[in-house]
This record gives sequence, C-alpha cells and structure tokens, in this order.
Amino acid sequence: MTLLIQDEYPKKLLRDDGLRLDGRGLTDLRPIKMEVNVIKNADGSAYIEWGNNKIFASVYGPREVHPHHLAKPDKGILRVFYRMATYSVFERKRPAPGRREKEISMIISECLEPVLFLELYPGTSFEIFIEVIDADGGTRCASTTVAALALADAGIPMRSLVTSCAVGKVDGQLITDLSGIEDKAGDSDMPCAITWFNNEISLLQFDGKMNQEEMTKSLDMLKDALEKIYHMQLDALKSKYIQIQEGIQQ
Amino acid sequence: MENNEELEQEEEEQEQNDEFEDEETLREIVAPGEVLTDDTENYIPGRGAILNKKGDKIISVIIGLKQIKKNYINVIPLRGFYTPHIGDKIIGIVLDKNPVKYVCDINAKYSGILKIKNTVKRNPKIRMRGNSRESEIPEKLFIGDAIIGKVIAADRLNSPEITLAGKYLGKKMGGIIIQIDSQKVPRIIGRNGSMIKMLKNLTNCNIFVAQNGRIWLKGFDIEHERLLIEAIYKIENEAHTTGLTDRMEGFIKNEIERRGIK
Repeated sequence: MTLLIQDEYPKKLLRDDGLRLDGRGLTDLRPIKMEVNVIKNADGSAYIEWGNNKIFASVYGPREVHPHHLAKPDKGILRVFYRMATYSVFERKRPAPGRREKEISMIISECLEPVLFLELYPGTSFEIFIEVIDADGGTRCASTTVAALALADAGIPMRSLVTSCAVGKVDGQLITDLSGIEDKAGDSDMPCAITWFNNEISLLQFDGKMNQEEMTKSLDMLKDALEKIYHMQLDALKSKYIQIQEGIQQ
Repeated sequence: MENNEELEQEEEEQEQNDEFEDEETLREIVAPGEVLTDDTENYIPGRGAILNKKGDKIISVIIGLKQIKKNYINVIPLRGFYTPHIGDKIIGIVLDKNPVKYVCDINAKYSGILKIKNTVKRNPKIRMRGNSRESEIPEKLFIGDAIIGKVIAADRLNSPEITLAGKYLGKKMGGIIIQIDSQKVPRIIGRNGSMIKMLKNLTNCNIFVAQNGRIWLKGFDIEHERLLIEAIYKIENEAHTTGLTDRMEGFIKNEIERRGIK
C-alpha cells in the first residue's frame, strides 16, 4: 500500500491568544545558533541552526577558475552553489540541482558581490558551497547569513557582513521570520538582505499581497530583526578567539 | 648529513619585523565592517582598513586585531590567504613538468612556474650557482619533490616565477613539511626571530619557515620533531594572545620533562 500524505495547512495561522502556532510573538525570531570554522579542509566555513534549518557553508578561494572560459580578465568572480540534501525536506528531494536551486544560488551570489573587492583578484574565483541539511522555511535568508559568515572566517577582505531575514503577512497580521508553514500558507512573504557598510538593501524578493502602508511597516520590523541577527553574527565570528584569550588569562 | 652545517646557517635570514608587537596593549578583535574610529582628521586607514563611502568613518575589512601606530589604524589579519611578493622565500611542491618548465604548488591562487634555466645545481663550496663545471648542469626534479625557492616575478594577473639560484635555495631532502595559516608566519618567527631561536635551542631541530605558511623541520629524533610540531600548532592557535614567547618556553620545557626526552 502506498502511503499518500497530503499537505494540510491549518485554517488559522494565529492562535486565539494572539501568538503564532509555535508560540512566538509576532516579531519574535526563531532560536539561532551560529558557529564558524567547522570544516577543517575549507578555507573558511560556518554553520547555522535557525529554528529547524540546519545549514553548512564553506568558502574556497581565491583560486583558478574551472572551466577556464568563465574567468574574467578584469575582476574575480563569485560562484555560489546552493544545494539541498535529499532528506532535508518532507518528500524526498531529487539530488540534481533544479530551477529553484539555480535561482537561489544566483540571488545569493548577487547579494554578496557588493561587499567583496572582486576587482583586486582578476582571473580568479571565490566559491561558496552551501549545503542545506534540514529545511523549514527561510533557507535563502539563513544561507545568505551563513555564507557571509564563512567569507569573513576565510579572511577574505569584505566591506561588511551581510544579514538577511524575512517578513510576511499571515491572517492579516505582519510577522517577522516566517517558518515553513507560515511561508506556504500565509498571505505574503518578503525575504530581504542588507549590507551594513552603506545600510542598503541587497536582496528583496516579494510574493503575495500587501498594501503600501504594510510594506513600510514591515521594512521597519525587518530593520529591528536584522540588527539582532547582525550582533549574533559578530559574536559567532569573534567568540572563538575570545575564548582562547580568556582561557589563557585564567 | 652532508648539509647539516649548511642548514644551521639558514637561521640568520629568518629576521623579520613582528607585526604582532605592542604586547602590553589590549588586543581588540574586530570583524569586517566594524567601525574602528570616527576621528578621520587624526587617523589614516592603514593595512586592512578603509574609509567608508561618506568618508566619516574608518572601517575594518578583515577579521583581525586592531592596532594603532602613530596616526595609522591597522588591522592585523587572523585568517587569510597567501599572496606572493617578489623576494619571498617559499616552499613548493613540484606538480607537473615539461621540457620548458616545472609547475609548483606554492599555496597561492596561481601555481608557481620554475623555468629550467633557474634550476641550477648548487656548488657545495659556496652554495651558489657558478664557479664549477658541475654547477652549470640543471638540477633534475621529479614530480612530488619539495623545493625551497624565491619569487622573482609576481603580479596580480600572471603566475609567479620562482628560482632555485641563490643562497640556501634548492631541492629539500628529508625532514617534515607542515602547513599553517600564512598570516601567522610573523608570529612563528617572533620579534627579531626571538620565537624561532627559542624553538631551535630547546628542541635541537632545524627549521625553515617559508612565507607561504609551509614549515620545513628536521630534528635528530622523532620525539623532538613531534614536540616541535605540537608547539608550532599551539603558536598558530594562540597567535592573537599576549606573552606568547614566554608561555611557549614554559610549555616546551614542561613537555620535555614530562615526556622524558633527552
């Protein structure tokens, strides 16, 4: 007998007491844990646990480009390989990269390019490999955040870190950091990334319906959330060195 | 051990300014994009720092230690990759060869090119090319050989060219090669070579630290070599802390006593 499981979403995404299904308030983030230097053979690497998302990122470079015809004579290139493990989602994902993965690889690469000094490394490439081990909504935001962390860990000169988060609307209410179920069944979803050296938006995608007032309000909500995540990124990057310093002082 | 005497003389050239100086000052770790100072009138961005677009702040571009020298603000890198510069001594491994050149892995973004004319056999008397008929024959290298070379041409676009002609350069036989982060090389050498002298005296090993982060070492027995490798990795791990030379001296003396090495 084949097992058929249909996607079923609850009719209401907000509970009677005003909280969300997982008990968060409207502007609360899921628990986030970040770590750097987790892969020994990579030049730089990072790991993030954002709610149920578990993502590894590793950085290699600068190195020679293969295939060679992709190399540009006047600047380096940034290549991002976003891949999802077959077991990362509910129904088995076919391992070949599909349309969605190519799109996300491209948007992450274009989102991170402005912070790098690619013009200093002509004819070379930086490569970021993002492996999603477990996915539950908002993997492109988490991937962008962790890729920036891995780049910084590799010691590659950057203008600033990049932080990303999503806002959206469920049941007529604006919420921050959508989980998988809110992403699928909600009214709208807007992932966004920011580069901190000029406070400019580097990634903005939108899906669903929202009026202009809600849009302005959601961008304000986003700013608060991004600031919180940025401090977590800085902590993750420095804590490894600070721990050694403190251990010796004692 | 015909080249024993020769190796000892390699010590002299390991002199380099220690970038990690100012031991007593507090070492603040900064991340990319963090503001180093708002005072752009009195300070100029130095190594690892840039002005922001408006020109009112100096920000860091790498993860490292903040350092103020005169009116320059520098960031000393904690991680990074090796960029070849003319005059650097490097340890390479022969990857490929053809009738014109050898291709060497030098731990940089491009592999190093070693032309046949630059692979001369050394004259054992003066340790340089020339002055004997034998020295005019090119030295034959095989794939997998380790060499100590010097960069004679390097830029952003082309593969660096290396040479084996010069004092102490050439093929390396025996010993162990280990790899550390190339940004920690100044710390292994120490201020005026203090750290490397201490390591040599306490472990009785010959060490050659190359600028690309590879370290060649050879001792009289395996115990000393193992202790030295452990010590080098410990230095790499704790490079951003203060009072490292004294602490390492204590560590090595303790370990020698504990392990009973003679």
